[in-house]
Amino acid sequence: MDGSIIDIMLFAPLATILGALLFWFIQLLFIQGQKYLLDKIRKKHEPFCRFTNYLGILFQTICQALGYTVTKSGISEINVNVNYGKVAPKKQKKGIFEWISNVFLFIGPFFLSAFLLLICLFFILKNGFDTTIPAHLLELKYTFGGQLIIFGAHLYEFTASFLNFLVNIDLFHPVHLGFLFLLIFLGLGIRPSYLGEKKIDKIDILYELKNIWQLIIYKPAYIVSLFLVSYSFFYLSLLLDKGFYATLFSVFGWLSIISIVALFLSYLIILFIIAIDKIEGRKKIIPYITIPISYILARVLFIYLPTDMDKSMSLMIMMLLTILVIYLLMKPKGDKFKTKKKIKRLKDKSEGEEQNE
Amino acid sequence: MSDEELLKNEKLEKMLSPHPLSFMRYQSLCIFLLIWGFLVWWMVNFSDFKNYFVNPWIAILVWGIVLLIFGIIVALITIRWSIFFMYAGVFFGGVGLMLWQNWITSIASVGVFILVYTAGMAIVGFLLVEWYRRSHKYIISNQRIIFKGGIITKEERTLRYDKISDINAKQGLLGQIFGFGTIIPISQSGFGLGSDNTFAAGGLQIGEKKAKIMGVFGGGKEVQTPRARSYYELHGVYPYKEIKKMVEEFIQGKDVIPYHQKNVEYQKEQTAFQKEQVDIQKQMRDLLKMQSGPKKNVDENIDEDDIPDDK
Repeated sequence: MDGSIIDIMLFAPLATILGALLFWFIQLLFIQGQKYLLDKIRKKHEPFCRFTNYLGILFQTICQALGYTVTKSGISEINVNVNYGKVAPKKQKKGIFEWISNVFLFIGPFFLSAFLLLICLFFILKNGFDTTIPAHLLELKYTFGGQLIIFGAHLYEFTASFLNFLVNIDLFHPVHLGFLFLLIFLGLGIRPSYLGEKKIDKIDILYELKNIWQLIIYKPAYIVSLFLVSYSFFYLSLLLDKGFYATLFSVFGWLSIISIVALFLSYLIILFIIAIDKIEGRKKIIPYITIPISYILARVLFIYLPTDMDKSMSLMIMMLLTILVIYLLMKPKGDKFKTKKKIKRLKDKSEGEEQNE
Repeated sequence: MSDEELLKNEKLEKMLSPHPLSFMRYQSLCIFLLIWGFLVWWMVNFSDFKNYFVNPWIAILVWGIVLLIFGIIVALITIRWSIFFMYAGVFFGGVGLMLWQNWITSIASVGVFILVYTAGMAIVGFLLVEWYRRSHKYIISNQRIIFKGGIITKEERTLRYDKISDINAKQGLLGQIFGFGTIIPISQSGFGLGSDNTFAAGGLQIGEKKAKIMGVFGGGKEVQTPRARSYYELHGVYPYKEIKKMVEEFIQGKDVIPYHQKNVEYQKEQTAFQKEQVDIQKQMRDLLKMQSGPKKNVDENIDEDDIPDDK
């Protein structure tokens, strides 16, 4: 086995932890972007925002309830509505139990909906869950670099398979269609804090990080013990020469990837809504109709012009046509430019005439 | 509502209809029809199970059995057998149409027929639900609430605020998202209250052929719950919070209705008259005092407490 002893004993376990943290942080940034976009459409689309709120609150409440169940605190009251979720424990436990409950409350909502989607993907994806270690890394697999590359390889394998599935998704297949809806719906709810009834500026990425930081500094011994457990897990993996340590953290990476993709889809939907808002009157309905009709027509077209990429091409045609229709229906803003140009021409002309005089 | 229908001093506050999504329980029946039609079409033509559907009748039977089972389950849950008969009607109507037009020739044609037919039926269903929704009209005035409805037979209920003893308000998930809800005014006579009944029964048979002992035992339970037909409640009204507040304010008598106003005025007149009477008696007593000099008071019975409060 290559690699220095310090690298293996001290730094190698950190590699996957840092990798998972990095993707989680990217997920946080995407969540922040989603909140920003939702806030932009809030005035015009209050029900849509309420719906996304509800999803967020629902997952948060479920996580809190799970926390109390796992710590055997029991649940005396559970209440979820569009603006508020509440879970009250039967017994208010202190110490490590309270800390675990809080971990569920603050970190659970980031991963719960992604975990549900991962279960669905397990049945849908043909591959992508392969966690074998590449042959060229076998010698270095327990070093910092090796662990990082294994983590990256697992993530790449999964991401490639997942994106390949999304690009070739068959919207005539009920399971695929159902998964897409689930991905969009859950994507709208992947966020631990929500837009309240009234705008609260405090609830942003810093607010969430502050919550988690408070959790860490509240009982630093627990976080240290969590690191110790991770390190022991790595040493066990090293002793048995099995790569389950990297696999475990890869799962967290997969969850973040799923969340990021789901959030990206929710961006597209919000941007679609924003674009439609710029269309006036009853014409707004045309882009909504364009989506299914263009897809059906494209699929029918590829029955007569068979190709291997009929599904992805149909998706592409659907998206391009929808964008084109929205562009054509939007109130032309070129007028302003034309006017400016004309004025400029007129100015140049008059200046020229003055000079001639 | 025309001005002729308004009572004296009555002012129209709001005229409402249920929110388009407030009848989702009926719309979801049509959505199921749409989804199931699509699923059958997909199963017959593209799924891994398509080899099982060689005979078109198998596809028809699968389509029909699921429709009928779903109809029975929903009918039992909602205690509305009309839902089952609706699904049965869709199924037998479809089969009848296929037989009449002789369309049961290949599995592909049956698949397409089921898709198009169920989609058509679902659209008809959506339109009927919309028609039903639009037949509802709720008129809120400063004196009463008028509930109007009915597609063929027109129904109307008028409820005066002073006759409302209680109001029940509920808002489902869709209602919370879209801001609509249902308000059931319960009248003093109990209109607006329904009941949930549960009944359990068991039978026992002992002995064979000759000696038989038969017994049946059972028990029932009834729970009263606010419930009314959508024509007799403010079903799925938007904006829910505003309407609820308005109705509650009218009930609380913040804005006194003319009937009450008359009563108050009458009581005031009575009080003023009584005061006047007492004043006259006092004056008479003083006169008598002056006439009789040191004599005893004649009207000692008149007490200050007899004067009614001017409230």
